[in-house]
Amino acid sequence: MNRSRKPAIRRPLVAMTTAALALTMTLGACGRDEGGGAAEGQGEAISEGKASGSIEVWAMGTEGDVLGDFVSDFSDANPDADVKVTAIPWEAAHDKIANAIASGETPDVTLVGTTWMGEFAESGGIDPTPEGLVDEADFFEGAWDSTEVGGTSYGVPWYVETRVLYYRTDLAEKAGWDEPPASWDELKQFATDLQDKAGVEYGISLPAGGGGSWQTFMPFAWSNGASLTNEDGTEYTIDSPEMTEALEYYKSFFDDGQSSTALLDAGELESGFADGTFGSFISGPWHTGLVEDAGVKEDQYAVVPLPGKDSAPGTSFTGGGDLAVFSDSDNKDGAWKFVQWLSEPETQQAFYDEVGDLPAVKSAWDTGELADDPQLQIFGQQLESALAPPAVPTWEEVAAAVDSEIEKATKGDSDPADAVSAMQKQAASIGTGL
Amino acid sequence: MTATTEVSSPDRGHKPRSGGGSSPSRHVDPTRRQQALAAWMLALPFTLLFLAFTLGPVLASFGMSFTDMRRADIRSPFAVQFVGLDNYVKLIEDPVFRKVTVNTLLYLVLGVPLTMALALGVAVLLNRIVRFKGFFRVGYYLPVVTSIVAVSVVWKYLYRDNGGVFNTMLSWVGLDGPAWLDSTTLALPSLIVMAAWRNFGTLMIIFLAGLQTIPKEMNEAAEVDGATGWGRFRYITLPMLRPVLLFGAVITGIGYLQFFEEAFVMTKGGPLDSTRSVTYFTFDQFGFGNFGYAAAASYLLFLAVVLLTFVQFRLLGERDDKPSKRQAKKAEQARKEALS
Repeated sequence: MNRSRKPAIRRPLVAMTTAALALTMTLGACGRDEGGGAAEGQGEAISEGKASGSIEVWAMGTEGDVLGDFVSDFSDANPDADVKVTAIPWEAAHDKIANAIASGETPDVTLVGTTWMGEFAESGGIDPTPEGLVDEADFFEGAWDSTEVGGTSYGVPWYVETRVLYYRTDLAEKAGWDEPPASWDELKQFATDLQDKAGVEYGISLPAGGGGSWQTFMPFAWSNGASLTNEDGTEYTIDSPEMTEALEYYKSFFDDGQSSTALLDAGELESGFADGTFGSFISGPWHTGLVEDAGVKEDQYAVVPLPGKDSAPGTSFTGGGDLAVFSDSDNKDGAWKFVQWLSEPETQQAFYDEVGDLPAVKSAWDTGELADDPQLQIFGQQLESALAPPAVPTWEEVAAAVDSEIEKATKGDSDPADAVSAMQKQAASIGTGL
Repeated sequence: MTATTEVSSPDRGHKPRSGGGSSPSRHVDPTRRQQALAAWMLALPFTLLFLAFTLGPVLASFGMSFTDMRRADIRSPFAVQFVGLDNYVKLIEDPVFRKVTVNTLLYLVLGVPLTMALALGVAVLLNRIVRFKGFFRVGYYLPVVTSIVAVSVVWKYLYRDNGGVFNTMLSWVGLDGPAWLDSTTLALPSLIVMAAWRNFGTLMIIFLAGLQTIPKEMNEAAEVDGATGWGRFRYITLPMLRPVLLFGAVITGIGYLQFFEEAFVMTKGGPLDSTRSVTYFTFDQFGFGNFGYAAAASYLLFLAVVLLTFVQFRLLGERDDKPSKRQAKKAEQARKEALS
């Protein structure tokens, strides 16, 4: 009896000793370094001459599939450099980069989603952009801002996307609108007329809440002069009369039955746009293909820049991909030269021709298809007036809080002023993480 | 308790022989030593893997729940601040965490009885029928082996407001069905109904096995004594099934406390967080990179699982021996008193 019971008593003891040991180890080594990755200066300028050595690149999605063949021009111009592209899926990308940074086993260059920049820069995993590598003024302002964490740039914008208003031109004409709406009041009237005169069920489809609804709401707030953070990006400034007013306006579409509060399934928006359930919606460049696949003919719909509050153009949301060089890269010189090559206007234009990604460099829009296609020009025009969310490590968490408060407002659970002050409160308690 | 005595009893039998033989001379049998060495060698690979990949991470995450570790710290995981119980205090004060705790409890108190009742009902019926038993058994078990994500996607379409199967069926009888998953009051029950439908198959098989161990004679005797069907179920079937019911309640309870995939696929935790569970909350926090906070949340859930299991053992398990032992003692005492 005794003998058989002994181990049963000893086992938890062993476990507890181990636990205590692990704890002491954690305790003993604790204490955070002050500062961290952010707020350092730009990196030193890269050397003159051609790139050499092996340059390992990670890219996601279509970019990853295409980039491998696309770099032949770079290889021709830099015979000593050997570019190796690894395609990784978007879903796995974030964790893969985070793990690479943690283990120190990184490639040289990677494509980074714009909203991840704050986090990776803060962890010290990616390198500040070298002095004089590219000219900030060449890029769209919103795109460049996405690389700046705590006042230092940590990469170069590669491609961009922005949100515009999609609407059914045939239905709008039926409702008496030959011109697109150009102000908040007009947009509201536009939605009403589409329902009353053209028989659509919902004049506009806006997300009532849920992941990413801030991307549709913030353009209204930005157009009204609201901002998420102060100039230096050190404090949140969400709680403002402008933000509240924007949320009141946004909410009015749900209160007046012009937008549905239901969560849409994949494909529901496109098919609803095709069969006249939704008269309009706000989205990015990928939707031109999606709505056409759903059966909307090219002459049945149009894209237009977001209407501003009054006559001024609206400010939209911009996202996309940045190129960053890892701090643990063995060939930073070659890596930055490769990044520099990818952000030359000719390369950007050629890459658009290859995959259809909108160039982040403004001058790439001056010639070729980008200059001629009226639909693309709308996106180019909107990019001139588009903002990125603050590049702080905690942004995703703040965004989730904003999303949930938007939902409370649109579904009548709280009033816009309270929702906005709750956003501010939560954002302040989460902090910027810098 | 019973388990330990059972295990130790054969050992006790051996003890006098081996212990008595070796205790005078402190000689250690070389074969035994070799056996012990071999045993350790054979156990070593598992032990090492277990320490490195199970116990290590478990302890590390427990330690992590007392620090302010964030994702930006991954390059220097030991350079974090020790914050004591701050994470736990913050969790209890967090209105979202409170909300998800209430939701999780709702999943538990609504889901477990519903799933068990369904399983027991179907098991009793299946126990009665003679033909097509195998067919029905497989049929009811099928949802369990189907991918939970696939099931959720299909049910999402069943619940759809416009053109969903349920609402179409309701419209045949002239009712206008609600938007099941877009309503803060209906979304959670809707998910529970689906989860019960998906999960009761396992319990049904276990209950069916339990039912088959109940001797037929007992039911026959009761029938002769004039017991009704309900009476036989209440006073014979249920008490005889108690250990099986306990097992069912424990595993189903643990499952519902960790409710996640259904909400993740069907409602994304919404509308207005009404279907977000504690596991979902933890998942979100890990996603935001708040490793310390997320670890604390998962240890609170672990504590809840332990508590729940303890309570269930108390309610369903011990009741059937303790009072009966006490009763037996009382009865014996009474008999003795009567005799004297």
